[in-house]
Amino acid sequence: MIAASFLSLSTTVVNEQDVVTPFEQALLVGLVFVIMFGLGAGLTPRDFKSALRRPYGLIIGFVTQFGIMPLLAYVLVITLLFQLPREYAGPVALGALLMGCVPAGTTSNIFTYFSKGNLALSVIMTTNSTLWAILMTPLVLAFYGGFVFTEETDLQIPIVNIVVTLATLLIPVVAGMILRRYSANVGAFMELLGGFFGLFFIVFLMATWVPRNWALLTSTPWQTYTVAIGLGLVGIFVAYFIARAIRLHPANARTIGLETGIQNGPLAIAIVILTFSGTPEIGLILIVPALYSLFIVIIATFVTFWFRRANTAEEQKIPSLL
Amino acid sequence: MTQRPWLAHYPSGVEHELVATPFRHMPDLLSKATTDYGDQIAFTQCMPNGMNGSLTYNQVDELSDAFAAYLREELTLEAGDRVAVQMPNCLAFPIVAFGIFKAGLVLVNTNPLYTASEMTHQFSDSGAKALVIIDMFADRLPEVVSATGIQTVVTVRIAEFFPPVVAGVIRLVQKYWNRSLPKIEVEHTSFQTALSRGRELMGRSSSYLDGVDLESIAALQYTGGTTGVSKGAMLTHGNLVSNTMQVLQMLGESIRPGKEIVLTALPLYHIFAFTVNLIGFYHMGARNILVPSPRPPSNLKRAFENYKITWTTGVNTLFNALLNERWFVEHPPKHLIGSAAGGMALHESVAERWREVTGTPIVEGYGLTETSPVLTFNPFGGEVKDGTIGIPVPSTDVRCVKDDGTDAGVGEPGEIVARGPQIMKGYWQRDDETANAMLDGWFRTGDIAEMDADGYFTIVDRKKDMVLVSGFNVFPNEVEERIASMPGVNEVGVVGIPDDKTGEAVRAYVVANDPRPTEAEIIAHCRESLAAYKVPKSVRFVDELPKSPIGKILRRELRAEAVTSETASIETQGRELS
Repeated sequence: MIAASFLSLSTTVVNEQDVVTPFEQALLVGLVFVIMFGLGAGLTPRDFKSALRRPYGLIIGFVTQFGIMPLLAYVLVITLLFQLPREYAGPVALGALLMGCVPAGTTSNIFTYFSKGNLALSVIMTTNSTLWAILMTPLVLAFYGGFVFTEETDLQIPIVNIVVTLATLLIPVVAGMILRRYSANVGAFMELLGGFFGLFFIVFLMATWVPRNWALLTSTPWQTYTVAIGLGLVGIFVAYFIARAIRLHPANARTIGLETGIQNGPLAIAIVILTFSGTPEIGLILIVPALYSLFIVIIATFVTFWFRRANTAEEQKIPSLL
Repeated sequence: MTQRPWLAHYPSGVEHELVATPFRHMPDLLSKATTDYGDQIAFTQCMPNGMNGSLTYNQVDELSDAFAAYLREELTLEAGDRVAVQMPNCLAFPIVAFGIFKAGLVLVNTNPLYTASEMTHQFSDSGAKALVIIDMFADRLPEVVSATGIQTVVTVRIAEFFPPVVAGVIRLVQKYWNRSLPKIEVEHTSFQTALSRGRELMGRSSSYLDGVDLESIAALQYTGGTTGVSKGAMLTHGNLVSNTMQVLQMLGESIRPGKEIVLTALPLYHIFAFTVNLIGFYHMGARNILVPSPRPPSNLKRAFENYKITWTTGVNTLFNALLNERWFVEHPPKHLIGSAAGGMALHESVAERWREVTGTPIVEGYGLTETSPVLTFNPFGGEVKDGTIGIPVPSTDVRCVKDDGTDAGVGEPGEIVARGPQIMKGYWQRDDETANAMLDGWFRTGDIAEMDADGYFTIVDRKKDMVLVSGFNVFPNEVEERIASMPGVNEVGVVGIPDDKTGEAVRAYVVANDPRPTEAEIIAHCRESLAAYKVPKSVRFVDELPKSPIGKILRRELRAEAVTSETASIETQGRELS
């Protein structure tokens, strides 16, 4: 009975036009380009040198980002999603795995700032995981994909396409870095714009995508929601408690928690759009990245409030000017 | 004749007396820079996110001419009238300040963080007729304008002279994100309107400077002085020109004309940055990098990344804060030549670390608002003695006087008194205060120091901060220096608090990092090297210390805090008992 309704569900949403229109696709990819450009515009070669001098941040970031998050996604997929019919669960699981394998998002920096965490560490971790992503995201995705997609009917993960997409999306990061060398004003402007679009992305999702796909969202099973929400929430807390357990400074532990749990949702969506354009299952693949992107803002806000209450003496003051 | 043992320690080639200059007043000195460096960049304002705007020497000259015309023609101010200026470091600052000088008016520098009552006091006392204020702080105006003689308010935006799009973005962020732009509820003129009006009126009068000479007052610089009452030190054109030239003469060839990039993180309304950065480095053709707010210190990151800073001025707090920033320590400015510290005692531990991290010298100088401000500093290119404030600048006499009025011997503490062309004319309309501050033609600084055989001075402490424990003098600086050298101590302020047994007792207020030392550890650390009566009786851990706008730790407020918290705890105890 339930299985039947899922079957009909998956057939009703196969038409990709329903889920993301070509206009939305272009807009989302454009937004991601600006966001990535902004990330680059805030970076200097010094940041990389600093990061290399204190590799512990990089190592922890690397381990949580490409160790914990993909594993968590995998566990959530096999325990929850695979209770559902394979036809539905397969594409959704692919989206969920991808969500676990993408690097950290730039919004983690904003939440770190408001949580009175270590902003420098957050920026370094985001950058580091973004650059590693070109290698690690396809690798980890292929690794877990190998366990999950064992049946012939399953989707094939187009690893090469994903690598190409990631490489394309890294171009604006490098362009941003180069540009800021020549004009600090344009660099700062793009950095601001990138941060703004990072939040705008969510507003865009809520304002246009959610209402249009309301039917799809209301018929989406709880397991899918749990995966989308759990990935961020559990990710934050697992990383936070590991960081506390190895006796890192609370500010650094908060940073690592947020950095780990907050993935680059827009990037995942852009990868799906650019890689699976034309595939009938694109709608299902997009569900977890889209839901994740929506819920992570709410989750991170609550976590930030909690972190702020738990916050101790060190005050990171909000600059009085800009 | 006073002995000047320090002259032997002047770097070679530095004249002992101030070399006569052809400048008749400040505008003369400023126009020399325009002639020499016209198209070079004079000022760049760098926001915390790297957004910036710049002005060349020619632009500063033209714009300040226009502003002078506005003040004299449009507002019909007359020579000697006071104009209050209240803004953080920004591109408008030099234009306004230089415009006031060019108009033959008197500049009243005002701290932008002042409360309405402090503003009212300063504007009434100085009799200011016009006010140039940053729009962010204009919310206090209705109260202030009605209570003072301010007739005209000119409002300045923080991103004045930035590229239009960038200025627009900054304004949007201020308005909607920071919400730092209050509604201005008094009649006001925007700075750009004032400038365009000034441009139209330019050339009406040949000179606003007739009758202005080195003896004329250029600025009223407000200070608590030794008595704590806020009063205006009358600094003449001659004071400012002399002090600028004294400093530059002493620095000799360490400053390369037209080539330096100086970081101006200290506020320009403070006399140290005003004379040294705004006037001195400008005169030398340097590019001033203006930072509106150096707190938190990460606000300086972009300035250090984007500009090849060669010089910086600062206070102990700023240098210490930078040394606690990872980005700074890992990438110290590569092009730095030297740093000058003033405003407060530079801790030896901070000086040592600064040299170690940047690989460049840092020298400490000394002076007061009343002395324009520089009296002494450690000679670049000469012998630098850490922990001392160095030797007097050319044409300056400094001695230490004991309580009985006789001169202190070598190594003996006494109050610093000074004489030189940089000493103020007196306090504005306060002859009694002026008389108190002067001693047979010498200015009394209220600071206790010792001079060594070479003529180097070491500040022992501020006279009024001295703690009297069972009749023994304890100088807070010495105790602070000791505590600051402990790992885990970020900042420390030491004061005397009333004590039943000993009259006063030493208390330390400590801002600690993790792992933080305990009270017992701090006391034990002090015991190792301080006499028993100097060791703090109590230690309080605080999140931050009260500081002046330039970062000087305000012991006065710590003492007040100590007294109120004591009373409060007694009251609570009383309530519990009853």
